[in-house]
Formats: sequence, C-alpha cells, structure tokens
Amino acid sequence: MENISYNEVNEDVVRTMTHTTWKYWVALVTCAVMATVLWGGAWAYQIYVGQGVTGLNTPTFWGIYLANFVFWIGISHSGTLLSAILFITATPWRRSIYRSAEAITFFSVLTAALFIFVHMGRPWNFYWTMPYPTTRQLWVNFTSPIMFDVFAISTYMTSSVIFLYFGSIPDLAAVRDRVTGWRKPIYTYLALGWRGTEAEWHWLSKSYTFFAVFIIPLAVSVHSIVSWDFALSMVPGLNKTIFAPYFVVGAIFSGTAAIVTLMVILRKSLKFEKYITMMHFDKLCLLLLVMSLLWSYINVVEVFSDWYANTSVENETLRYRMFMPPHSYMYWLMIITNSIMPLLFIFKKLRTSIFVCVVVSIGINVGMWIERYLIVATTLPRKYLPNMWHGYTPSLIEISITVGSFFFFAMLFLIFVKVWPSVSIYEVKEDIGIPMRKGFKRH
Amino acid sequence: MKRRYFLKFIGAGGIGTGLGMLFGQAIKPPGAKLIPYLIPPEDVIPGLANYYASLCTQCPAGCGVLVKIMDGRAKKVEGNPLHPVSGGKLCVRGQAGLQALYNPDRVQGPMRRKGARGSTSFEPISWEEAIGEVTTRLNDLSAKGESDKLYFLTPELGGHLGKLADDFMAGYGSSNTIKYDLFDYRNLRYANRASMGIKAIPHYDIENTKYLLSFGADFASTWLSPVGMSRGYGEMRQGGHTGRGKFVQVEPRLSLTAANADEWVPAKPGTEAVLALAIAKEIVDSGHYKGSDLKTWKKLLSPFGLSYASEVTDVDKKRIRHIAKEFMSTRPSLAVGGEGISGYSNGVSGLVAVNILNHVAGNLGIKGGVQANSNDLFGGNDADTVGAGIQTLINAAKESKVGLLFHYNNNPAFTTPGSAKAADALKNVPFIVSFSSFLDETTALSDIILPSHTSFEDWGDDFTNPAPGFQVATIMQPVVSSVYKTRSLGDIFIGIGKAVGGTAKAKMPNDTFATHLKASWKRLYAKDKGMSASSFTFETFWRETLARGGWWNEKSAKKRKLSVSTRSVARHVSKEPAKFEGESSKYPLYLLPYAQAGHLDGRGANIPWLQELPDPITSVVWDSWVEINPKTAKRLGVKMGDMAEIESPFGKVLSPVYVYEGIRPDTVAIPIGQVHKLYGRYAEKRGANPLEILPSTVDTRTEVYALNSTRVRIAKVSRPGDLVKMDVYTDELGRGIVQTVPTGGQFKKSSHH
Amino acid sequence: MSGILTKLKDKLQSYRVPGYRTKFEYKWTMVVDLDRCNGCEACVVACYAENNLPVVGKRDCDISRRFSWIRIERYIEGEYPDVKVKFIPIMCQHCDAAPCELGCPVYATYHNQDGLNVQVYNRCVGTFTCATYCTYDVRRFNWFTYKWDSPLEQQLNPDVTVREMGVMEKCTFCIQRIRVAKDTAKDEGRKVTDGDVQTACMQSCPTDAITFGDLNDPNSKVSKLAKSPRRYRLLEELNTDPSVIYLKRVMDEKKGHGSSHG
Repeated sequence: MENISYNEVNEDVVRTMTHTTWKYWVALVTCAVMATVLWGGAWAYQIYVGQGVTGLNTPTFWGIYLANFVFWIGISHSGTLLSAILFITATPWRRSIYRSAEAITFFSVLTAALFIFVHMGRPWNFYWTMPYPTTRQLWVNFTSPIMFDVFAISTYMTSSVIFLYFGSIPDLAAVRDRVTGWRKPIYTYLALGWRGTEAEWHWLSKSYTFFAVFIIPLAVSVHSIVSWDFALSMVPGLNKTIFAPYFVVGAIFSGTAAIVTLMVILRKSLKFEKYITMMHFDKLCLLLLVMSLLWSYINVVEVFSDWYANTSVENETLRYRMFMPPHSYMYWLMIITNSIMPLLFIFKKLRTSIFVCVVVSIGINVGMWIERYLIVATTLPRKYLPNMWHGYTPSLIEISITVGSFFFFAMLFLIFVKVWPSVSIYEVKEDIGIPMRKGFKRH
Repeated sequence: MKRRYFLKFIGAGGIGTGLGMLFGQAIKPPGAKLIPYLIPPEDVIPGLANYYASLCTQCPAGCGVLVKIMDGRAKKVEGNPLHPVSGGKLCVRGQAGLQALYNPDRVQGPMRRKGARGSTSFEPISWEEAIGEVTTRLNDLSAKGESDKLYFLTPELGGHLGKLADDFMAGYGSSNTIKYDLFDYRNLRYANRASMGIKAIPHYDIENTKYLLSFGADFASTWLSPVGMSRGYGEMRQGGHTGRGKFVQVEPRLSLTAANADEWVPAKPGTEAVLALAIAKEIVDSGHYKGSDLKTWKKLLSPFGLSYASEVTDVDKKRIRHIAKEFMSTRPSLAVGGEGISGYSNGVSGLVAVNILNHVAGNLGIKGGVQANSNDLFGGNDADTVGAGIQTLINAAKESKVGLLFHYNNNPAFTTPGSAKAADALKNVPFIVSFSSFLDETTALSDIILPSHTSFEDWGDDFTNPAPGFQVATIMQPVVSSVYKTRSLGDIFIGIGKAVGGTAKAKMPNDTFATHLKASWKRLYAKDKGMSASSFTFETFWRETLARGGWWNEKSAKKRKLSVSTRSVARHVSKEPAKFEGESSKYPLYLLPYAQAGHLDGRGANIPWLQELPDPITSVVWDSWVEINPKTAKRLGVKMGDMAEIESPFGKVLSPVYVYEGIRPDTVAIPIGQVHKLYGRYAEKRGANPLEILPSTVDTRTEVYALNSTRVRIAKVSRPGDLVKMDVYTDELGRGIVQTVPTGGQFKKSSHH
Repeated sequence: MSGILTKLKDKLQSYRVPGYRTKFEYKWTMVVDLDRCNGCEACVVACYAENNLPVVGKRDCDISRRFSWIRIERYIEGEYPDVKVKFIPIMCQHCDAAPCELGCPVYATYHNQDGLNVQVYNRCVGTFTCATYCTYDVRRFNWFTYKWDSPLEQQLNPDVTVREMGVMEKCTFCIQRIRVAKDTAKDEGRKVTDGDVQTACMQSCPTDAITFGDLNDPNSKVSKLAKSPRRYRLLEELNTDPSVIYLKRVMDEKKGHGSSHG
C-alpha cells in the first residue's frame, strides 16, 4: 500500500459510512423488500398453513432448508478462518479484509440459525430446545446432535460477535472522533470510551488473541457438529465417519470463496482498490486451490469407500446421486465448479485476474450449495426400504425462502457497511507503517 | 382454528401469553354439548365404549361385527369374535363401512326431482309427502289394473327384510322383484344346483384342506366371503392342526390371491374350464376315481385330452399332469371356482367343471373339501332361487312394460355393461322411486328418493352366505340414531303398504320393521327346537341373540353326502369356447375387468379410507389403471403411468398404464369401481370404468353378464397420466426385507402355535 | 481418578429410568407371520379407524404423504410367468436401540417402561430428526392441520388425540388399548395377561398373521412364536433391536415347481 497517509485511511473508511449514494439506497431497499417478501412472506404463509407447503415428504423429511442451513454455516467459516487463523499466523494481508469477513461470519450464522426455525414444524415452540428449568420437569436430550447444534451454534454466534466487536473498538473510536450529529452518541457508546492508551492496546491485543485462539477450535467443532446431524443417523450416504472433516474442509472452501467474491464487490463499490490489492487475491486463490484439492480428495475417498463397500444401500445412493437426473446434472456441475475450475489457480496470471477470481469463486459457492443440497436430497430418498423411496423436489415456497435468505444476508451486510467501519483502520495503518515510495514489501 | 393461531402468535411474539389466554377464555363458546351427569342419557358413559353386535352389509358375505359406540357415535367396526364366519376379524370394506354411515354425501332426507331426469336437481320434501306421492302412484297403477307393472330392483335382501319386501310385492300384485348385483354368485348357485342339487352356496373348507386349487377365485380380497376364507387360508398355511397346505391358483392375471399361491398357472382366458376338465380326465384315467359310473365319466371327459387341453389353455402338458397328480394324491384337496372362471359367457360350465373336478377327486362332502349348507331355518330362503335377472328388467323397461320402479341400493346404471344401456332403458320408466342412501348414477334417474338407513341405523337380519357348514343367522340392530332424516327400508315398505291398503296392507301386520323382525323371530323361536332349547323364554333368547349378534348352532352341522352325476352335468360340459367379442386381428388383447379390493363393484368408491387404501397389488390410490404385461407394453410403446386408450368394439375408455409382470401378454386387466359420474365428492370423475366398453353378453342360463367377454386394443395417448402409486420401487435389491424359507424344508409349519 | 469416573458414571446412570433399555415391566412385542399374511390390508384400515389417521387426498399421496402407520410393502420379482409378489406389513418396530430416540432434541420420542417407543405429541417441535433417522420410514408428519368433512369427524376415536399441524407421529402399538388393559389389570390386582391387549391391526387381521403380547411372559403366544426357526427381524444388521419379529414366508424363491412344469 503505497502513498497512503494515516489520515487518508481514516477518511476513506469514514467516508463509506457517511456518504451514501442513491445506488446504495436502491440496493438496500431492494434487498429489504425482497427479504421481507420472499422470506418473511413465504415463511409466514408456511407457519400459517403448515410444513405441507414444502416439497418434503415421507422419506425425505429434510430438504432445501437444511441444505441452506449447512451452506450458511459453511459461509460463516470465512470470517474465523481469515481473521483468527491468519491473525495467529501473523499473516499481514488479512488486515484489510478481515473486518468484513467477520461480519460475514456473524450474518451467515444468523441466517443459518434462522433456517433451523424455518425448517421446524412448530417454530413457535423453538424455546423448548433450550435447557431451562420448568415446573413440568422437562429437559432436553443431550444425546441428540440437534441439541449439540443448539449449543454449538449459539456459542459460535456469541463468540463471533464478540470477536468482531473487540477488533472494532479502536476503529469505532476513530469513527466517533470523526462523525457529527446523531451518529456521535451512538459511536461514543459503542467505542466504550476508547482513548488509545498503552494499557488499552495491551488488553485489546490480549483479549483479541485469546478469542482468535478460542474461535478456531470452535469453528472446527461447529461444522463437525453440523455434520453429525447427518452422520449420526443410519441413513446410507449420511452415516459416514469422514463427514466431520468433509464438512469443515467444505466450509473453509466455501467461506474463502465467499470472501473472494465479497472482496471484489467491496473493492468496486467502496473504491477500496488501495486496500484490497491483487496480492490479496493471489493469496486467497492459492488457499482456494489447496482447499479444492483437499475437498476433491475427500470426495473421491467418500465415493470410493461406498463403491468398495459394494452394498446395495451404498450403491443405490451413489447411483441416485451420480447417474440419475436431475441430481446427476447437479453432481457433475459441482465436480466441475469445485474440483476442476479451481485448478485454474495453478497459474499466477489467473490468480490475479479479477474476472477469473469472480467466476471461480462464485462457481465454488454454487458448487458448495449443490453439495449441501445433494447431501440431503440424494440420501434420504434412498433409505433402506425401497418401497418407501420417494424423490424430493423443492416447492416454490422453499425456493422463495432460499432466494430470500440471500437478500436477507445482503441486506444485513449493506447495513453493516454503513454503520460499522468495514475495513480495520488501525490494522491497515499498521500495514502502512512509514510511508514508502515504492511498493510495499514485507518479505 | 383461527383463534388458536391467534393465540400462538400472541404467545410467540411475547406480547403477553397471559393476556392471550385470558382473551381465549373470554371468547370460549358455552359448553353446548356437555353430557349431564345427573340424569345421563341411557347407555352413555363418557369415556367408556359400548360394543353392539350387528351385521356387516358391505358385501353379501354377512359377517357378524361389533360396533364400538362412544358418546352415541359409532367409532369403529370390528369383527364379532363369537361369529363363526368373521371370528373377530374384518376386511377393509367392512371396517370402512363407518365412512358410509358418516358420509357427507348421503341423501339427507326424502327428495323429489325438480329438474330434468339425471340432472341431480332435487328438492327436499317431508316423509309424509313422499309416502303419499308413492302411494298415489301405486294406486294409479293398480286402478289401471297394471299392478304387475311394478318392478322392484334390489340386491339380494337378506332375511326378513327380503321376506317383507316379497310380501309387499305379492300383496300389491306384482311378482317382478329383480335381484341384481354385479357380483351376486348366480352362476355359482346355478352351477351347484345343476351339478350337485344344492341350493345354498356350500362351505369351501379352505382351513382344513391340504391342496387348494383355485380357478380365479380372488378370495383374499373380494370373492364370496373374504374374511371367512382368509381365516381359513391362514390356518391352512400355518395352523397347528394340519400340515402346511399347498395352494395353486389358475388365472390369467396374478391377483392378490394368486400372489399368495405357491404356484400360479396363467391359463389362457376362457379356457379354465378346459383345464379343470383335463385335470379331471387325468384323475379319472389314472384310476383314482373308483365310482360305479367310471365309464360314463370317462366318456364324458374323453374330449379333454392332455394335448388338446395344453394347446387350448397354453399350459404345459407336464404341468397339467403334475397338478392332477398332486390334486388327487394330496388328501383332502379342494378346487374352487371364482369370478375368474364364472365371468365368461360359459361361466356356468366352468363352475360345473370345478364341481366335476372335486367330485372325481373325492372332495365332496368331506372335511377340507366342499361341504353342503342348508338354509332350512328360514324355510328355504329366497337366497337360493335364481330368478329373473337384470336383463329382464332392461328389456321390460325398453318395451315400456315397467310402470313404476322401486330401486334400492344397487347401481345398474354403473354396474351393467355399457352396451346393455341400462340407464337409457330406465329413462323409459315413467316413475322411479329410489330407496338408496346415496345419489349415485341410478338414483339420479329417479323421480323421488326415500333414503333408507345404513346398516348401522337399521334393524335386519341375514344369513351368512356361504355358511360354515351350519346355519348362521346374523342380526343387525341400530347402533346409532340416524345421522340424517332417513328411514328403515322395512318401515318404508310397511308405511307404503299400509297407505296403499288392500292385500298389501293385510300383509303388513306390524307397525314398524323392528316389531316385525322381533315377531318373526318369535315364530322362528317357536318352530326351531335348537332355539327354544337354548333359552327359557323368547325374551331372554332375543336379548341373548342380540348381545351375541345372531343365532347359530355349530352342532347343527350335518354331514351331507354330495355328488355330481354325469347325467346332470352332461349338458354343461362342452368344448364350446367362451365367447369374446372383437376379431383377434383388430383387437388383439383380452380384457379382464375385475373387482378391486376396496371398491368391489364400485360401492366403496365414495369412502375416503378405501380411496386412499393402496390397491393390494398395484398400490395405486384414488384411481384405476390398466394392467399390461411389460412385453406388450414395450410393443405398444407405453410406459408405467402413460395414458392409454382401451378400445373394444363397444367403445373406448382412457386409463393410465400399470406395467405388471403378473399378467399374460395377451391380456389386459382393469379394476372395476372407479369413474363414477355421480356418487359423492370422493368417487366422482376419477379413473376408468371397464364396464363401459363391455358387450352385454350374458350366460343365457343365468342372465349373468360375462365380464370377460371382449377383446380390446390399446393405443398410447399423448395426455399425461396422473397415476399415483405408493410403491415406486418394488425391487428388494437383495436387502433381505421379506425373507423366505423354501417349501418342503424343515419349516413346513410353525412348531409353536 | 477411576473413583471419580465411577462416581460420575453412577451419577449419570441414576438419572435414567431404572432398568432403562434392559429391564421392562412388560416387553410388548409383535410377531408377524409372513406365511399367513396375504396382503389384504385390513390392518391398514383398522389403523385408520382406531388412530384417527387423516385422509390426505390424491395430490399429497403423490408426494408420499400418505398417513398409514402400518403399511403393506410389496416386492415383485421375476418375469412372467415366474412372478412372485411378496408382502410385508411394516409398522413402527419399537426398537430398543431406536435411532429416532437418539435424534429428538426435546425427548418428544423416548422409551417407556414397557419397552415401547412412544411419541409425545405435545412436546414435539417438529425438527424431523426422528423421521430422518428412522431406518424403517414409519414416522408420519402432520404437514397440515387435517380436516374431516363433516360429519366424518363423528367417527373419530375419543381415546386417541387428533394431532395438530407440525407434529410427528407413528404407530403406538395402540397404547390406548394397552393403557386400558393395564388399568383393568391393576383394578383387578393382577398383571396383564396374554390376550388382554389386542392392537387394532392384529384384531382385524383375517389370516391371524399378527400376534401381539408380552415377551417377558414366557407362556405368551408371542414368546412361543418368537422361538420359531422362521424368526427374523427387519434390517437386523442395523442393530436397532426391533420389538417386531417377523416369521419368514415359506416359498420357493428360485424357479420352483412353477417353472419346471410350466
């Protein structure tokens, strides 16, 4: 990052929060309206009429909602990965993007958590899944992986919010010092009286490091636990020991891809070319390449172990997934987007091409969504008793809620960039150090 | 319901659940239907069920049932454990009878036609008005001296109701009671009378037989007495007292019953009789038959040699010989003939052939064979007679010989072949009075409807037919008060009879059918020694009989010798093949309409439980279908679920295709019972009715329509099909779901039972 | 260290119902003789009548939402003319190691002291986990609040609740009948004897293919039948330990007499 002064950084970031173009408002209103109609409206209808408005049926009780749940949990891994892992490994290029990534974590976990309620038959009783003392002496079942989920996700969500907030305190203070009017008291409150003393920096660094260390095993465990929702069942195709690493790898894979997409959008819309450079894309694409190879390996292992087992139950699930339309189309599309397309990143030239990055990273997320969808939609219809086999097609309501969830997520993020410093001011400043004439080189 | 959701939202929103509940309490309607404890209604104890013994009328079998009553409502129908036929068991149709009682589409009171005939536009009238109108019509007719122009179209009316109806008709001066049901076993009765001289349907002792050879008898779902026969079947297979019986089924389509058979012999349609006679010839020729008339049998059966039979029936010679060998060497063995052999233009001959087979194998009058029944108790009930059939009525109606028609509970506009044109003929009748409880196709043609009770609201009695070797009279009693403004058919007859006056009035000595029934039983009690011996007074006998569900005396079973003589059957044994309309070049496939397990002849189609009950073989719900062999389907270019047009020389119907391995490649089968034009919301406008494209071919001896009497051709139509079947995959994939052990091994029968 | 662990183990076990999964007051068991079963489906209708099962209509049948708690599965094998159709009634197997019980987060499905796998409708929040985990596909979900066209609702059995939208349900082994039998037995100061409890399906079965009773009672009919050499349990390799025992059908699966003479 060349020729940037500290002040410029401050101004750039605060500008994104105070100066709003009409395009932003159009985008925000569109997202809000679409989220309300497509998600809110459809969900209200579903609650009123019943889960029957979905395409779910007797063997296939889990459908697109669960796929979305897992998908959004997967997206959430972007923040923790980039922020925490790269923080601990002291990777310098994380600094300009980690704030947005952490926000993604929080918003996607929120979206995912909401999908649990969307898929419930009686969502108004959601609080029954909490272990609270009642006079009726009802308790929750701690052997249930769904119960693991309740704890894992709520812990993860809380931790990621704290992580996001702690890292933002100095920036909130910086914003506080620059805004006027109604914004002032809000940021004064949020900044917790940050003055930038040595002691404050010391404690912030300590607690931030603690959370960075704490949240990595948490993130791994969350997705392992999500995988156990499936792996602890006896359904052929779900009952797999490899599911936990498979899900974690998939989550990091999709999370990273989401970050790449997001970076392109931020870079363009907020004019952050100074902060998000080609170097960032280069590094992230390398990571994508590695995760893709890992993901492909696990996928091959999964297929191979099924094939090698050569039992009727495994074979039928594989056949249903790989060779029977329409799922086979989705499956092979997923293989192309997740295993073959990322191979383009072998070449540095392609890693630093924005166009290729966008295409591949969006492709990966499409592929990862398909993966999650196929996990439920191709195993449950092929359980043990062939007489009860029945395929699953999502209904319009389900598709509407799915599309709505993306608008909902976009809406949250749009609000975020207005109310929160979306680039870490103080850490970018660390990057700048003493302004230099030529390109910045750490190594 | 809305209030409940309102409450839910209040609670979920956290605005204040307490407030919501308060509100909920405030708007709760006052308890309008509380049962007072101080002076409770008789027999109603809240929370406790009463069981009343009664009679099932969903098919003519006459099973005794128990109806569970709670708070004055019928909740469940179960078999009467004391009853010799049902033995505490009940089939699908019997149990679903409840939904006929509480059917939303019942005729809710007397109605008079308002619009054109068949327009289903009726206006409600009072019972007095209705009876008055019918009386006027009757009086007009008799004043013209045309009393014999009154026709009464009814299914077999059991017991004293049948007698009462006969009395009324006789009193009025008409002898035209036409009994019709699509499956009413007239052929069977006729054949048995012709060959063995017995009137009542005999007891086929499946329970004790060790080799059952069935010619198209689908006793597991519809034939004769499904509950009784299925009970026998279970015992034959794994009963403790006999070895596991073998079961061979001969029919062109693998029915539910054939699916349970050890062997399925898909003989060519219409040749079952030849196969039976060929087996009989083998038995006679082998020297197994030792009768004095051996020579005449040999002569009579001589045309049915193995090579001829094999050629005609498409069954391997070795196989025929093998069946013959097993059939005579396994003792006791039993052959039965069902719709699959009687449903041809020469149906009687087929059933006679089965009787011959039983005779030469020595199965008549023995345990595990065919046992004679008698109906002496009711003095030779009319159930034995084979009177004029539906064709007589149709012809009379066409020739305007019918002045007034009483119609009860059968639906000839639906259950007769399309080319018989029953509906058109009925339109020729000046005035039709219907006693049906449902607005079906035939009732819609009537001018006035006097809806009668269902079996749960009415008194009655019936013979179990066939009886289990001894007489079983089952009593039907009202177990709930009538749901709608309907009346007992007996009461209607008494009412009309009294209003008409004259002899008809004289024949109606009692005011209600209930008293009539009791009085009639009092006479029986006085006459029958077994009854009078069982109780001290008639009142106690009556109470006990009602509680038990009827009267039967197992000790009254008399062993009666049965035999078939060559003289009596000679005229029914011929090489003449069953008649099939349509040239085989133009119409290459035999059409096999059959009774569907849930709907029988279509009467179950208005019952939601039965509509949603998957067919036992195809698992199709809410629809009908045409079964086609995969080879044929491939040739025709149709796949499972495609719509196909089935065309006979008499018309065409559309039906979705069910590709089924268990049917001959030269045969297609369609279940009967769907595509009602009228019959309530659950029955209407779904499926195809094969009867529409049947010729009106009858067995001339009995006037019974031959169901299997036409060939058809099938063409694919481009309309998308909407076949809904519950089993999408029927391949076990080697997962060991239904495990089996081979026959003849150590597992022949359960050692603990 | 090991002392603490033992203590912890004891403590944890003390929370369980005594004898959970091993010792039951009664061990309700169903034996289904596939050699007797002729596939007539009388049991299915009996279950509809007894347990207030709704009729869902053709469209919902099409997407496999039929409600029958007991169903007849049919497997067709072979080609014309050597066709075999095999029937098997499948209802909740009341597994002693039930996968569904593992999955429910709120204990809406659990094992009771009689060895029954029971479903508490009021507690169910509808996560579908039990149904997904069920290896026998016997669980049914109330996709809507189902309605009965008046006056069909007059038939509804007051002994069994009518379930509302959003809850899971399944075969209960006619628990309402078990309760009546147990109450009666208690009033009379005895244990429930063989034959006191009849499930609706068993009661209606014309061929007597279904037998129901207490496996703890060595003299009960089911105890005797359970020793049959034809005994097997559905998908036994999954170790769900079902309470439903099937007796193998006697038939020649390979080309038997049928083809050698045909």
